Amino acid sequence: MADAIHVELRFFAALREQVGARLEREVRRGTTVGALWRALVAEHPGLGAVPVRFAVNQRYVEASHRLAAGDEVAFFPPVSGGG
Amino acid sequence: MFRITRRALALDGLLRAVRSPAAGAVVTFVGTTRNTNAGRAVVRLEYEAFVPMAEREMRALAAQASKRWPLCGVAMMHRVGRVPIGQASVAIAVSAGHRAEAFAACHWLIDRLKEIVPIWKREHFRGGTVWIGSQQGGPEPPMRGRPAAGPRRIRTRHAGARRRPR
Repeated sequence: MADAIHVELRFFAALREQVGARLEREVRRGTTVGALWRALVAEHPGLGAVPVRFAVNQRYVEASHRLAAGDEVAFFPPVSGGG
Repeated sequence: MFRITRRALALDGLLRAVRSPAAGAVVTFVGTTRNTNAGRAVVRLEYEAFVPMAEREMRALAAQASKRWPLCGVAMMHRVGRVPIGQASVAIAVSAGHRAEAFAACHWLIDRLKEIVPIWKREHFRGGTVWIGSQQGGPEPPMRGRPAAGPRRIRTRHAGARRRPR
């Protein structure tokens, strides 16, 4: 893939327990976070059971956000901090 | 001070961080680990965070609160790892010229923290474990008695609960 870019994936809590804390992927340049997520769910159907939010380079983004080379993409199940 | 830590939360440091000669009030909120949730006996809680982003989001919340209310200082800490019952998992301190804005900002900050700061709570109860909000770590236990009154939580049910209780 001439236009492939490398991205690093991080998973937390319930998602981490299914696929591990980190993965690396090659994706086509311009791939959206949502499309990447759908591809991951196709590989690991259990992931789709939890509502998910996305962060790229430690900032929340929408599913339509397009990935750039070297991005760190984090996948969050619903957060539940506090007492 | 905006910190995720594995250690027991030290409130004196939190109070020192918001000390100001312009302040007439310091309001603190401390969230502690409760021994019951949704009618089940909780043995302990365990927290996980995306540490750098959680600290950045806490700092961003403090900046937003400072725009909304005239505050002197804000400090927030959250503990991660295992937290025994009855100990502090989160602490917030807000100082302001007067108590009304300090109370309002502190209340807003804990509500927003629970909504957006990337921290996750795993509840170990008698008979299993569960990630709060994901309900992925074990079967939903039967409700016994009146559910504990508590903050609003996102609850999702699905057929994906695979892990058996220990």
